[in-house]
Amino acid sequence: MKGIKKILLGLLVIFILIQFVQPARNKSRQVMPNDISKIVSVPSDVQGILKKACYDCHSNNTEYPWYVNMQPMHWFMNNHIQSGKAELNFSEFGSYTSRRQQSKLRSIENSLKDGSMPLNSYTLIHRNAILTKTEKLLLMNWVQNSKDSLNKKNFN
Amino acid sequence: MKTLIYSSVFSLLFLAACSNGSNKTKSTTSADAKVTTAVASGSSEKGTSTAAVLASYLKLKNAFTNDNDKDAAAAGNEMVTAFASFDKKSLTPEQDKAYTDIYDDAKEHAEHIGANVGNIAHQREHFDMLSKDMYDLVKLLGANQSLYVDHCPMYNNNKGAIWLSEVKDIKNPYLGKAMPTCGTVKEELK
Repeated sequence: MKGIKKILLGLLVIFILIQFVQPARNKSRQVMPNDISKIVSVPSDVQGILKKACYDCHSNNTEYPWYVNMQPMHWFMNNHIQSGKAELNFSEFGSYTSRRQQSKLRSIENSLKDGSMPLNSYTLIHRNAILTKTEKLLLMNWVQNSKDSLNKKNFN
Repeated sequence: MKTLIYSSVFSLLFLAACSNGSNKTKSTTSADAKVTTAVASGSSEKGTSTAAVLASYLKLKNAFTNDNDKDAAAAGNEMVTAFASFDKKSLTPEQDKAYTDIYDDAKEHAEHIGANVGNIAHQREHFDMLSKDMYDLVKLLGANQSLYVDHCPMYNNNKGAIWLSEVKDIKNPYLGKAMPTCGTVKEELK
């Protein structure tokens, strides 16, 4: 009995201690010079969808939910954001080479088609990030247009 | 007494976990070592630095014709190492710029193929984009061997896709064993 108490007490102490280790927040207020909106046109309805369903992990601006104030939730989320940004960062899209921009747009298209994005583990909590059929179609059209306009840009 | 039991159980678990972990790292490092030696021997001669990249690409292509996602992943990882050991010093500034553009994209596709065992459809999506990069790379720097540019008209909802092959016979990497001979030779690179 004594052993269990000791372990529980130890865990509690650890829990309290880790509350002081907060990672830096993924927030930048201004629009970056390499933002995707500087490269291709992003209509406001598309922007709205990207913001609610993609930008939390794929941009330099995350809307943090309430539970990140408690560790280790913030760490988990931070990991997600880091790997999401490494894969695709809409705020840095302009810094990619033209070939890579095309590839990224194609990958967006593919992940929309097979439904692998947004991640299920993400939409489980962020119900409003689930894309409706019309929203998906809107995004797909936008990706297609962006691909064409980038193609034109690179050949002129 | 109980504390003693608990602590010994914990330390046992801990030890078990540790030994597992070290075993794993051991096996991966030996695999890595194999890859690096293979790549190093390929790039030891002058002018063969694209050869290592190309060799791993062809391995990748052949894995897809056999519908083998594990071999594809291994070849993808090999390709990442081959790209990393590619020597850019002999390139002209223009070549360097074009190469960097290709490399930036191709390395990422190779990484994705390496990381997606069990999802061959996803691996093939990246192989499609990677093949275009490889085509441009060979056009840019040459290959030291003759290659065939093949075209599969059906892949990606009939949008079609190309691949590079070392043999003239069509062996389709996009449709695999389902339609092995679907496609045509579009171009011959020497």
